[in-house]
Amino acid sequence: MTELPEDGDDGDSSTRRDNSAEQWLFAEARKIRRPLFYILGLSVAIGLLVVAQAYQLASACQRVVMQGEGVSSVLPLAGLLVLLAAGRALCTYLLETTSARAAASVKRSVRSQLYRKLQSLGPAGLAGNETGPLIETVTRGVDELEPYFTRFLPQLFLAALLPSMFLVILVPFEWRSGLVLLFSAPCIPLFMILIGRGSESLHRRQWGRLSRMAGHLLDLVQGLPDLIIFGAAKKEATVVARVSEEYRVATMAVLRVAFLSAFTLEFFATVGTAVVAVIIGFRLLWGVVTLREGLFVLLMAPEFYLPLRNLGLSYHARMQGVAAAERIAPLLAKPLPEGFAGTLIPPAGPPAIIFEGVSFRYGANRGGISDVDLELPAGSITALAGESGAGKSTLARLLVGLARPESGRILVNGQDLKMLEPDCWRSMLAWVPQAPFFTSGTVRENLCLGRPDADEGQICMALEAAVAGEIIGCLPHGLDTVLGDRGAGLSGGELKRLALARAYLCQATLLVLDEPTAGLDPENERLVLAALERVTRDRTVLIISHREQTLACAERVAEMVAGRLERVVSPTVFLSSCEVAA
Amino acid sequence: MIRLLRFLEISRKQWLWMVAGIVLGVAVIAANTLLMAVSGWFIASMAVSGSSGVAFNYFFPSAGIRFLAIARTVGRYAERLVTHEATFRILAELRVWLFKRFEPLSPACLERYAGGDVAGRLRADVDALETLYLKIFAPLAVGIISIAAALVFLAWFSPPSALIMLLFLLLAGIGLPLVVRSLSEEPGRRSAVLAAELRNSVTEGLQGVEELILLGAIERQAVVVDNLSAGVIREQERLGRINALSLAGMSLFAGAGVAAVLLTGSMQVAAQQIPPPNLVMLLLFSAAIFEAAGLLPAALLMLPAARESADRVFELADAPIPVPDNPLSGEMPADNGICFTNVSASYLPGRPVLRDISLTVPTGGSLVLTGSSGVGKSLLLEILLRFRNYEGSITVGGVEIRDLSKETLLGMIAAVPQHPHLFNGSIRDNIMLGNPSADEQLVLQALSDSCLDAWVAGLPSGLDTAVGVGGSAVSGGEARRIALARALLKDVPILLLDEPTEGLDAATEREVVARLNRRLRTTRDTTVLVVSHRPACLGLGDTVLRL
Repeated sequence: MTELPEDGDDGDSSTRRDNSAEQWLFAEARKIRRPLFYILGLSVAIGLLVVAQAYQLASACQRVVMQGEGVSSVLPLAGLLVLLAAGRALCTYLLETTSARAAASVKRSVRSQLYRKLQSLGPAGLAGNETGPLIETVTRGVDELEPYFTRFLPQLFLAALLPSMFLVILVPFEWRSGLVLLFSAPCIPLFMILIGRGSESLHRRQWGRLSRMAGHLLDLVQGLPDLIIFGAAKKEATVVARVSEEYRVATMAVLRVAFLSAFTLEFFATVGTAVVAVIIGFRLLWGVVTLREGLFVLLMAPEFYLPLRNLGLSYHARMQGVAAAERIAPLLAKPLPEGFAGTLIPPAGPPAIIFEGVSFRYGANRGGISDVDLELPAGSITALAGESGAGKSTLARLLVGLARPESGRILVNGQDLKMLEPDCWRSMLAWVPQAPFFTSGTVRENLCLGRPDADEGQICMALEAAVAGEIIGCLPHGLDTVLGDRGAGLSGGELKRLALARAYLCQATLLVLDEPTAGLDPENERLVLAALERVTRDRTVLIISHREQTLACAERVAEMVAGRLERVVSPTVFLSSCEVAA
Repeated sequence: MIRLLRFLEISRKQWLWMVAGIVLGVAVIAANTLLMAVSGWFIASMAVSGSSGVAFNYFFPSAGIRFLAIARTVGRYAERLVTHEATFRILAELRVWLFKRFEPLSPACLERYAGGDVAGRLRADVDALETLYLKIFAPLAVGIISIAAALVFLAWFSPPSALIMLLFLLLAGIGLPLVVRSLSEEPGRRSAVLAAELRNSVTEGLQGVEELILLGAIERQAVVVDNLSAGVIREQERLGRINALSLAGMSLFAGAGVAAVLLTGSMQVAAQQIPPPNLVMLLLFSAAIFEAAGLLPAALLMLPAARESADRVFELADAPIPVPDNPLSGEMPADNGICFTNVSASYLPGRPVLRDISLTVPTGGSLVLTGSSGVGKSLLLEILLRFRNYEGSITVGGVEIRDLSKETLLGMIAAVPQHPHLFNGSIRDNIMLGNPSADEQLVLQALSDSCLDAWVAGLPSGLDTAVGVGGSAVSGGEARRIALARALLKDVPILLLDEPTEGLDAATEREVVARLNRRLRTTRDTTVLVVSHRPACLGLGDTVLRL
């Protein structure tokens, strides 16, 4: 375990020391109650084996040193010691494997719950959460719960249980030493808590700075081209030296305090053991106790402190677990977004859509739409124009049902969209967003995301309709080419056409296309639009676009300005008015 | 191992701290084992003295116990401080060394590092090197020295016990870790692979959640995630069982070792080779010395991964400089005209991207390069920046750029690269990189020319707003405009712009182009080369060239 601050950790996690995270952890622990009891039982068994080992060793010493007996008399004891050690090894093995199994079941169930929850919260419920940290929480965050359950929780109970058990066994042998142990023990957690608080607040104050300095080199290396362009690369080496130096000074200031807690622990444990040794020495000198009893007590003294030391060492495990729980528990507790519980089955055939006074805002001043009234007759093609940020995409997202209007309603063939069964509604529409999403699987997998059962012929037809056939032809393995991280080198325009093909494959009766022709050259745009007109027969279509050619193929153009619907006109009127303005 | 030793060579100036940390580590273990040994011997002698009536001078041992107790406690604190101090001093040396080595390699060599995962892999590798001393060298040195010293101590009193302990310490400290390492190799590798796949499918599932919902594919994705998660956890559990084996083995060897010493020791007592109280001393000492053996497994287990990290880092650091500089060249370009004649270039050898390109931009001229992606538009700018080699001839102001020193050449050029990097600092820090001595007036001008003025004015902390790691706290369009402002602030005769309006909405894009044009018109002799496939950017040049 290093004490170097890791960047990437959540800086606020230690500031909000609310109990709900720890309560959630306890609730999860209750689910693995049985293995946890098993772990405690095994720990107690190991404790008893330790007592037996110490006692046998002390007895052997008594025989050899005090009674002058030979090897033959300690041979059975040595054999017994090996057996006890084997027993201890077995218990240790069982304990650790039980821990690993218990942790595995917690991680599996929490990750599954969490991921499904995030999915069902969807974009509407997750508004305001960045995806990056969420991914981190589902993957690494869940793993970080492990030490809390396997280290901290058992140690918490053992720190109370084992010392008292040892004390009960020791006092009949040597109550004076027992007193020393009894009174020194509580000092350890007390001082550790005091010092731990101090170092934590110091660390918290410095956290942002420390993590920035920790990541400094990497930041510079990643930005080297920029540094070179601006002639700053050479002199930046001295900055690296300076920041590393500051990093050392600042971290050491934190560590000097943080290490004090371990110091206190060692101090009390060591001094306690030393005092016990001296007391026993004199009791032996006076002939009050036997070497067996004295040595047994001396051997047990470090064991008495061990659970407390282990608890101290598992403090880091607790911090880590609580920090992870602070990210996980609130997500699991998030209420599902409202308005997605409709049950009506939408009618077949192209729907007629009416927006009635629909308003939606993302936040204080981040766009949205207000009071939009718009009609999309069944089977019509409507284009939505307007500047960026005017609310076009918001309108589309409300229509496909990714979010619900704050006020007003959207009517589908006269029924409120909210009352429709969400999955049914989704199955009858297809949406091509501005930046379509592709998995790293094959082209075929991506095309068939919405229709896993589509056959070769249907795929080909959809590709033809999206003017994407030639793209597939150019790929090394055709439909089975793996797209990989950056889309196998496909350009934005090519990916857009694949997304169109995917949408066509869905056989939806409502098509919502957000900038379907962005990134296409005029010739391809013409081909795509020509095909679009064929495909859109018997479908209601909403196309968001800036481009003249695209707008021209719509029946009507609705223009949005600053979140409001400005006008609905024919494409000719719209385009001629634009020319006048330009 | 040689690579790891080379790491010591880099940080040799800190040898005193490193040695001090190891000496303190050994001292702490010595204090601890001696404390147990002296305590055992002390109480055994007291018992013998109590029963036989022979006087025993208890003053010295009891003072010794007190001294050792304090030495151990204080020593441990000092040891932790010194080893960490050493670690951070090494870190500083290492970072400067790495930075100086990496600087001339960027970007042509750096981007090939670890198969392209530069950020993730380099972070882990540099981390591994930075904690190499703390986590591997110091524990190994302390463990080995302490064990050697302990065996000498034991041999002094009882050679047979020393031999026995040698066996058990080797088993616990070396044998056990080797077994564990070979057992955990396969599950370790598999769990890393599965974890990467899990991360990938979680990322896809969450980033694509909207489309997955609409395509009705979320349940299928959830099942994929569940299966991968179960796979990762299964491997982690397997690793946990191997760890359990190692811990169990440790306690078995420790217990058996003490039992063996009990036998050899009592034989020697019976043969009157050692005084009886020494048996107790030997036993307690032997039990305590396993602490030193316990240092070895963790360090030995980390060794292979650290060696791989070191290999990767040093391999990169030793790579030949891809585009050599010509620092002593006294050549100076006569003007700002750029001329490409029959230029060919590639990202990877043998896969030419640009072939026989010829073009000219006169001083004060502006050219927009357009063309579909992958034709090498960005590469053309990168060779002009001397990031990559080229064949043919490129002149700036009539001088071949190969013959110029990079300092002279880059002193004339400002650029917005394809993927500009924002440094973890404020907006001001990032813009001022273009010209650290610029006054407020110039900064505000650059802000307004790149259409950032209104946005910055609306931020509560204005220019002092932090941009986050890699610009994570600002949007892509904002980041690009910050990079643009940075380039404009440099105010030099040649301006290279790679997709300057990427990530901007149409209205902002138009505004940026208009403001840029206004600025460029006022500084007539700036030579501008723009790479873009966006129609709005065509307005930035007096010539447009389609590649």
